[in-house]
Amino acid sequence: MLEVQHLSITYTVGAGSFPAVTDVSMKLYPGRVVGIVGETGCGKSTLAKAIPRLLPEPPATIGGGRIIFRGTDLVHVSKRQLPMVRGTGIGMIFQEPLNSLNPAYRVFDQVAESIRIRHFREMGYVKSFQGGEVPFDYSKRPTETVSSSLTKPFLPAGTAGEVVRDRLRSRSDYRREVLEYLRLVRINDPETILDLFPHELSGGMRQRIMIAMALSEKPSVLIADEPTSALDVTIQAQVLTLMKELIEEVQTAILFISHDLGVIAETADEVGVMYAGQIVEYGPVAEVFHNPRHPYTKALLRAAPNRYKSEGPLSAMAGSVPNLSRLPTGCRFHPRCPLVQAVCREKVPTLDPIDGAPATPGVAAHASACFFQKEVPNLP
Amino acid sequence: MGRNPSDLILFIGKRLVQLVPVLFGVILLTFFFTHLDLTNVCNEWYPHAGGATIHACEASVNQPLLNQFFQYLVNLLHGNWGSDVYGAAVYPAIAAALPATLELVFASLFLMVVVGIPLGVIAAQYSGRWADHLVRVFYLSGWATPTYLGAVVAAVFLGPLLGLPSGGYFSTRAVPFPQYTHASILDAMLAGSLPYTVDAIDHLILPATVLAFINMGIATRMTRASMLEVLPLDYVRSARMKGLSEFWVLYKHALRNALITTTTVLGITAGGLLSGTVVVEEVFQWPGIGQYAYASIGGGSSVPNFAGAIAVVIIFAIAVVAANLIADILYGVLDPRVDWR
Repeated sequence: MLEVQHLSITYTVGAGSFPAVTDVSMKLYPGRVVGIVGETGCGKSTLAKAIPRLLPEPPATIGGGRIIFRGTDLVHVSKRQLPMVRGTGIGMIFQEPLNSLNPAYRVFDQVAESIRIRHFREMGYVKSFQGGEVPFDYSKRPTETVSSSLTKPFLPAGTAGEVVRDRLRSRSDYRREVLEYLRLVRINDPETILDLFPHELSGGMRQRIMIAMALSEKPSVLIADEPTSALDVTIQAQVLTLMKELIEEVQTAILFISHDLGVIAETADEVGVMYAGQIVEYGPVAEVFHNPRHPYTKALLRAAPNRYKSEGPLSAMAGSVPNLSRLPTGCRFHPRCPLVQAVCREKVPTLDPIDGAPATPGVAAHASACFFQKEVPNLP
Repeated sequence: MGRNPSDLILFIGKRLVQLVPVLFGVILLTFFFTHLDLTNVCNEWYPHAGGATIHACEASVNQPLLNQFFQYLVNLLHGNWGSDVYGAAVYPAIAAALPATLELVFASLFLMVVVGIPLGVIAAQYSGRWADHLVRVFYLSGWATPTYLGAVVAAVFLGPLLGLPSGGYFSTRAVPFPQYTHASILDAMLAGSLPYTVDAIDHLILPATVLAFINMGIATRMTRASMLEVLPLDYVRSARMKGLSEFWVLYKHALRNALITTTTVLGITAGGLLSGTVVVEEVFQWPGIGQYAYASIGGGSSVPNFAGAIAVVIIFAIAVVAANLIADILYGVLDPRVDWR
């Protein structure tokens, strides 16, 4: 569905350049959630925004690698084609719900706009991004009833099968569909919310509307960049439950980015642990969290406050995230690593599969970028 | 929340009530400035009049100033704006001239909006690059042009070059239809005459363009500045992420918010445009209030007309206040976060 291969992104500010993301690879599949976890400044948001090419370039530059979506490399897609990828192809839920809605338009207008974009592309009124290959077997045509079409993926015109040219939808058609999506994200009293402006809504409400907007375009790939971090714990739980339900309903490939290990453990199928712009460990969630094979993952898990045990002080990791302009040689984690040896200072470890990891087809194998991955389980 | 149409009517009503003291102040100041420092007024006001007029004038001038002001105010409220040296009433002259001026002002305001605002968007979109610099050169050269120079250059060189008329209202002095509104395009359209409508538009192009070119800088610069403020915001990014093309992101999502500040500034400028009309109307022989003002203060070879001059100042003051009022209302309408109360 979406494949990121050896992606590197550099920020150039003045004379200095900062490698924010270095050599990151991953694969997303429909109906599966890949989580990315890491500390602030490890490059996870940069990665999220780089995939739909949303980073302002300059200051950011894609130094190398490929972002393969529907068989086309997004790194080399023209500026004119990029909007066609966004929305229906790759959707995104942002970190800042408070400012992500346009203050000048009512909720209805903003959600209806998303639906209209998808509708126009489905009907072939405007061009949509085709890419080099057809991702799904689109043998079914879009049906008239809205509710049943909620769960169907976006259908670009002309990919396969017959395209239905229907009448232009009226405002009440859009109103009905907007209401469906507002109900989908569990908004109480959607008829009233519809006519309100963003500043009249709470943070949780705005985030739900952002989610409704992203979902209403039926993206093949959905990137959720810390969708719950700005919310209260109670609303966070609600939004998470909602997203989990939606992942099951709408078969979308999801990239879920968070600094919260608990949130990732609950939502993701696979997880990548990022440190200083690199993925240091990757694998199925249960594997990575119960049997970490990178000292950084181990330390990160140990530093997370445990809800069930209250004895003893919280453990903090020694040292701090390295400055991106002065990265350590060799393994980027070596100054903070308890297992450090001479080789760590000289050679860069690659993301190698763990010996004996179960090789299930379609599921990424557990891998770690550490020379001493076998010794990690022995760490305290 | 406080945004239903009845609240808007109340909001406008309140602003209108606030207008009353402002207008009173303007009339007060204008009256006293024109009446305080004159000696031997009557001979200056009525240089050609006979003894009877002079005597009547002196009888009124010798009254205490407050009484004179009260008398003027009462007359004004009765619709009597005084009369000029030859005894011609001021009011009909102004009533005929004002629509022509408003026509000119609205035409140039229209040009400022349809040309100046997109230029500001383009400048912000390519900020720091050559398109931005080109736009800046354009609006700064307008800003730096003295009104008289721009008007004369346009009338003398641009008019013949483009084949556009550079004087008057219509090509013929006598127009075969009644001028109900005294706004040339409107009159021609009311008469249903296409050739005269085209002729009226032809006559409007040069003066409106000069007025717009000189004042456009403020619209462009404000749009550019507020667009640069809006463009890095999160909701512009989410509009882009929806899959909208750059055109809709800029003009529907970003400009809609940037316009809130631009509108306010444009409203204030609209009042200022009137002062520009004095020179432009004189050069282009546009029969508007600017030309009347020029004649009233003794411009050219005309005899000073004090009642007329006071009337023009009051009209200009009303126009400036009204423009600000409209900008205020538009601000409330454009920004949904403003409560109408």
